[in-house]
Amino acid sequence: MDKKTAVYICTGCGIGDALNVEQLLEEGTEEFTIDVSKDHPCLCGVEGVEVIKKDIADEGINTVIIGACSYRVNYDVFNFGPDVIVERVNLREQVAWVMPPEDENTQELAEDNLRMGCSKAKDTQLPEPFKAEEEYSKDVLVVGGGIAGMTAALETAKAGYKAILVEKEDKLGGFLGKMKQSVTMPYKELADTGAAEMIAAVEAEEKIKVYTSSTVEKISGGPGIFSVDIKNNGNAVNERAGAVVQATGWVPYDANKLDHLGYGKFKDVITNVEMEEMAAAGKITRPSDGSPVKNVLFIQCAGSRDPEHLPYCSSVCCLVSMKQATYVKEQDPEAVNYVLYKDVRTVGQAEDFYRKAQQDGNIFIRGAATEVGEAGGKLFVEADDELLGENVKIEDLDLVVLAVGMVPASKPAVTPRIKAPADAENADEEGMIEVLPDSGFFANSALNLAYRQGPELPTLKYGFPDSHFICFPYETRRTGIYSAGCVKRPMETAKALDDAAGAAMKAVQCSELTAVGKAVHPRSGDMTYPEFNMNRCTQCKRCTEECPFGAINEDEKANPLPNPTRCRRCGVCMGACPERIISFKNYSVGMIGNMIKSVNVPEEDEEKPRVICLICENDALPALDMAGIKRMKWSPYVRFVQMRCLGSMNLVWIADSLSRGIDGILLMGCRHGDDYQCHFVKGSELANTRLSKVSETLDRLALESERVKFVEVGITDYEKIPKIIDDFMETIEEVGPNPYKGW
Amino acid sequence: MENKMGYNASFAEEVFRNVDSGDEIKMCMNCGVCAASCPLREHMDYPPRQIFSLIRAGKREEVLGSQSIMLCTSCYTCVVKCPRSIPVMDVMHGLAHYALKKGYTPRIEAARFGKEFWNQVYRRGRVDERDLAQRAYFAGGFWEGVKKILEFADVGIKLVLHRRMKLIPEKKIKGISTLRKMLDKAEMLDKGRSVQ
Repeated sequence: MDKKTAVYICTGCGIGDALNVEQLLEEGTEEFTIDVSKDHPCLCGVEGVEVIKKDIADEGINTVIIGACSYRVNYDVFNFGPDVIVERVNLREQVAWVMPPEDENTQELAEDNLRMGCSKAKDTQLPEPFKAEEEYSKDVLVVGGGIAGMTAALETAKAGYKAILVEKEDKLGGFLGKMKQSVTMPYKELADTGAAEMIAAVEAEEKIKVYTSSTVEKISGGPGIFSVDIKNNGNAVNERAGAVVQATGWVPYDANKLDHLGYGKFKDVITNVEMEEMAAAGKITRPSDGSPVKNVLFIQCAGSRDPEHLPYCSSVCCLVSMKQATYVKEQDPEAVNYVLYKDVRTVGQAEDFYRKAQQDGNIFIRGAATEVGEAGGKLFVEADDELLGENVKIEDLDLVVLAVGMVPASKPAVTPRIKAPADAENADEEGMIEVLPDSGFFANSALNLAYRQGPELPTLKYGFPDSHFICFPYETRRTGIYSAGCVKRPMETAKALDDAAGAAMKAVQCSELTAVGKAVHPRSGDMTYPEFNMNRCTQCKRCTEECPFGAINEDEKANPLPNPTRCRRCGVCMGACPERIISFKNYSVGMIGNMIKSVNVPEEDEEKPRVICLICENDALPALDMAGIKRMKWSPYVRFVQMRCLGSMNLVWIADSLSRGIDGILLMGCRHGDDYQCHFVKGSELANTRLSKVSETLDRLALESERVKFVEVGITDYEKIPKIIDDFMETIEEVGPNPYKGW
Repeated sequence: MENKMGYNASFAEEVFRNVDSGDEIKMCMNCGVCAASCPLREHMDYPPRQIFSLIRAGKREEVLGSQSIMLCTSCYTCVVKCPRSIPVMDVMHGLAHYALKKGYTPRIEAARFGKEFWNQVYRRGRVDERDLAQRAYFAGGFWEGVKKILEFADVGIKLVLHRRMKLIPEKKIKGISTLRKMLDKAEMLDKGRSVQ
């Protein structure tokens, strides 16, 4: 497209007072072909926008550079349709509001910002949305027919989309179908599980196709174009889907490992799942002789919150034990229930049911069981009672119920590692051991993804699919595949219902966006996608290895096979590629390189250092804007370059900057590690890893390693930003000017 | 010999059924806010929270023989603060009454003082400060009484100088029999309540 470029500078919000706008328009655009340049006292007002619209209509302007506020505000006002490229240059939060007015350095900063904007606009092309060759499907595949799976299917149907429900057992219902009663909203009394009604609703819904006794053999393709091979009673069936909801649920923790609590040793020690089955079958009796139960003791956290077993809390077992204690009381009002607990965790309104259980006279004992034994045909439990501060003995027990936790019914991509017990010999240097692969969740893969990075969803350390609990709870690290229910994290019925509905909505959203070539969260609506110049590919596999979302497959010669519908547009592949063959229409290695080159580097004797800050647009840039809004002050020598994700940082930018005489490079990205905040899961971590290799570049240029620094900035860290910048400027001052200036 | 305390639900049942407000104990979740807010906590052998734990554990002797249940001054702080809205104060009084009924003798001064206070009111219709103090001090034995008198001699002298305490015995009020009738009635009502 032939570009006709216009530059508009807003002089409102204090920009006009701080800067010499005439000089800015002249100096900042000097090296570029600009057809129209104007300033306006209130560009975002009706009149200001009208000026731009008029130029677009009359002069045929198709590239608009707006020097005003941050791109994060007024994006709707400065949207001139899909055919006009808009580039925003920040002169307000980063310049006028934080720098001394009418100052030489402030003016230079504004000019550099404008130059970078012009350079970026010059290299930007209009996006052409990706269109797959196959026809798009908008059906939702739901794997797992328990409460979460059925809800996801029903919600999909309610939204007007078709659902395909695959259940491995011969009937729907999952754990809910096996329960006697459930405790759910409003948590006052026991209630019917509602499983039968839900199964009937699913079977009556014509938009839902149910496959029972079926497994998913293979899922290939990507969002919008998933091809699903299902084995249905031995027959192979192929279905097409737009998105997937994994609701494969949970399995109880293997109680055979709990022999210290008497499981397997005494017949009358059972798990909460066995208790539920017994209650659902009819009468609760002693398994050893079938006699009625009078005294029952529940051991909470049986294996849970224990570094040697399940290190986490399953959040439902307390409620389950209270429910089962109620069964016992209903059967025999004179029966006595003891509950031995670490902490009672009845989350939210479920506290009401705890009150009911107390009102019923159940006796709660805070402490840990030290021994489970048998005397005279009855069981006894010894425990350290924390509240009395002594070891107590509860005798004459008919039944001991172990409240075991939930383990996700999925196969983790990596063997979970947990903190090793003190006496473990095989612990690694971090004091971790690998959990042996026999604890139930190492069943077969539920999804069998034909992805280069493995058949399952990548998991967090305890085997739950990776997703950001707070920021994007439904997303997994496989685009278009959403987890719901207990496979994601332990939850009770009411939460599973909400969770499944949310996942179904995300799935529908994903297939709709994909069908028009748009990205999903976090860059939802983005129509660009990575394009590969395959002629220069050296088959190094870095892109296929590093893509956080497994979007790129490989052929047998290790050529990357991109699946653009799986892509989240983070640009990690672009940053990884040593040959720089991956680029987006509006984001590429060359473009950012040119932006950096457009920054003016003053001579050494001017004593004006220049620092380039590559800043992540997801958390660090909003934090910087916030610091600007708060009118904090920082050095005028820093030039901020916006990144889609710090993971898209290519080392060539650092080498180029330093060889041009830029004094330092500051990288601001999200927190990484176990509690990462990166919107693309491992972008900032990858950037940090790449940075460890930058020392080669620095050595080659004979430069000090202090010149490049990575800092983690959370969205709430805006108050720290001025100090981060000032500290770095101090370091640069100590190191001295870059000797390559003027070359 | 191994002396492990056995949990025994029978005392808990006894308390739930017989003690005034006793079944409120069921709702205790042992957070300890009552103990933390009690102004008399440091004088108690078991804080209220632990009393409740002991009841559940079946420690009859410890609970009914404890000083704590006698010490409560009805300041209401625990009742206001209890997240489970348990009338802790009523429970403590309920337990105290139950203990007295079951023949447990209060081991502490506060209870002796209370008893003497009641006797004085019943006898005279008013409290004789000097007589009350003297009786309360000597209730624990002769030497303890002498020690207490010496300890509070300063206060006593000042009270006399400010005419807050008379050295000659107080007289009975007029119509003492009417007051006694009222007090008898009150005691009867109270006993009726706790027996119920």
